[in-house]
Amino acid sequence: MIPLVSLLYFGAVALIAIWATRRTRTARDFFVAGGGIGIWTLAIAAMTATLSGFAFIGGPGLLYAQGLGALFIVLPASLTNSMTAWALAKRMRLLGELRGLITVPDAIGVRYRSPAAQGLAAVAILIAIVGYMGTNLLALGLVIDAVFGTGFGWGVWIGTATVLAYSVSGGMLAGVYADLFQGSIKAVASVLVFGYVLHLGGGVGGLSRTILAHDPGFLAPWGRLSPLAALSFFFVFSVGALGQPHVISKFYMLRNPLHLKWYPAVTTGALIVTLLLYFGIGLTMKAEVARGAIAPLLRADDATPQFLLHYTPVLLAGLVFAGVAAAIMGTVNAFMNVGAAAITHDIPIALGRRVSNELFWGRVSTVGLTLVAATVARYSGSLVAFLGIFGWGLFASTLVPALAIGLNWPGATRAGAIASILTGLLVTLGFESAAFFKLYTFPAGITISGLSLVLSLLVFFGVSFLTRRGAGEVDGDIKLAMEI
Amino acid sequence: MAARPGLAPVITGTLGIAAAYGSALLPGGAPAWAPWAMVIGISLTCIGTMALGAARPGRRLGPMVWALGFVFVVLVGCFGAALILPAGEGPGARLLLGLPLRAALVVYGIGLLPAVVLPVVYARTFRALTLDESDLERIRAAGRSAEVP
Repeated sequence: MIPLVSLLYFGAVALIAIWATRRTRTARDFFVAGGGIGIWTLAIAAMTATLSGFAFIGGPGLLYAQGLGALFIVLPASLTNSMTAWALAKRMRLLGELRGLITVPDAIGVRYRSPAAQGLAAVAILIAIVGYMGTNLLALGLVIDAVFGTGFGWGVWIGTATVLAYSVSGGMLAGVYADLFQGSIKAVASVLVFGYVLHLGGGVGGLSRTILAHDPGFLAPWGRLSPLAALSFFFVFSVGALGQPHVISKFYMLRNPLHLKWYPAVTTGALIVTLLLYFGIGLTMKAEVARGAIAPLLRADDATPQFLLHYTPVLLAGLVFAGVAAAIMGTVNAFMNVGAAAITHDIPIALGRRVSNELFWGRVSTVGLTLVAATVARYSGSLVAFLGIFGWGLFASTLVPALAIGLNWPGATRAGAIASILTGLLVTLGFESAAFFKLYTFPAGITISGLSLVLSLLVFFGVSFLTRRGAGEVDGDIKLAMEI
Repeated sequence: MAARPGLAPVITGTLGIAAAYGSALLPGGAPAWAPWAMVIGISLTCIGTMALGAARPGRRLGPMVWALGFVFVVLVGCFGAALILPAGEGPGARLLLGLPLRAALVVYGIGLLPAVVLPVVYARTFRALTLDESDLERIRAAGRSAEVP
């Protein structure tokens, strides 16, 4: 039954890809869905791109292992979409209207009249994307192997080929409508699983009483983390949400900017509903282990598969496995699009060139980038885990100051933007490498992504202040978009 | 520096977070005030960013100020309560909506209350604060006359 549900799911994605391929005729169609999608599609696609496989597998596992402290990664969901709407949605959409922009580095480039800033932002995005995509392709391989028994290696390549097929042919048009379909599956699966969780554990109260009798610290507000470590997660995943290019580039795609009015409501609602699974499975598996119903998990990441195996009807298990695949594929597709745009659009602009046929080369670079990520994932050993760790943090520290603050603050300068992007790159890569090779580790409570984000913000403000005479160097139409 | 509503909270909040991180590097680890600096820093940065994004020359933030004030109080209040209240988690602990009190304040207070308030305020103030047809027409007119690089 589970393979059948999964096959139906892959079939539906294939139909969407065929439909989208017939409508993809220009680079604008390929990279920003022709700028013609509605608010529901935008909101659900943003939610789908935000929640990778981590929300369905790694997240519940982290909650099972670390207690409620693991929720600090997803608690900011109550704020982030409203914050993104106020700080970025309108400005990005208006910049798209004015200049026909298609990428996040495009916005940085026109804001500061700086191809160098645009190129640096594109390089940071590419570095983060290879690792991020690699870890997601590994997760997709695991899911395909679990459902179809293909073996892990073939699972990675089959998953890569599937997502590549619809991304290359239908570009972002296929991506966003696949996301709409996939996001709906995720939300329905999450609600149904949460219903099972409540039924099984006697409500949240029943689960809590079982856990409190055996392990009270699990339900402390910070779980097993220190307050500073938990709050550091909250900082990185709240403010850092303003710098995720695979999500915020979708604002260019909205047909009518006035429909942004409903963006926070739809996206926040969809995100919270979908995250019920994260909360529910982590809590239930802890309670089931605490009361001796099942043996302690060998690996925390087994929480979701074990829950589905033991406690849900096979049809729902199939739906959740499809939801996991959906989560991973939606995120990978968004990364492919952003990465291909960085290669064919942003970096050539930074070098003073324009690619003549961006649609063709966009498709070529999507294939190339994905093959690099899949090869790194498959053959680099622990390197892929290392690269995957800092994706979110690298996006945040390199893009939040220059983009989210810079589009709203006329006092920001080109030098401030470039210095902050460089700071984010160097601090993240330097300290993550030092930690990976065990040369230096920060004391408990300090996350490298949080430290990198705060340092790039400070450098952005400091350098902008020191170079404040350059703050007025903004084109008239861009200034208008920043003032409206 | 060109000032805008929201800029001061963002800068102050960033300094608070930097102070919290910096203090954790001191010998002996993070002092007791470090989580408080982090809580206030995060809260200021979040509401400051929203104000910075919503601010427009010549227009007041209006009712949005109340919403941002509410979110600030919720963040500082709930995180602060989790820091101040004694750890009452145990087999006989009283539950609030199924969770021990401190956890309930964090999960429901921070995880849900802003999600109810902020999208409503965004939608209700959208035409007055964010975008209306005349703004869009100005942008389209500027787009028609702008040089496309």
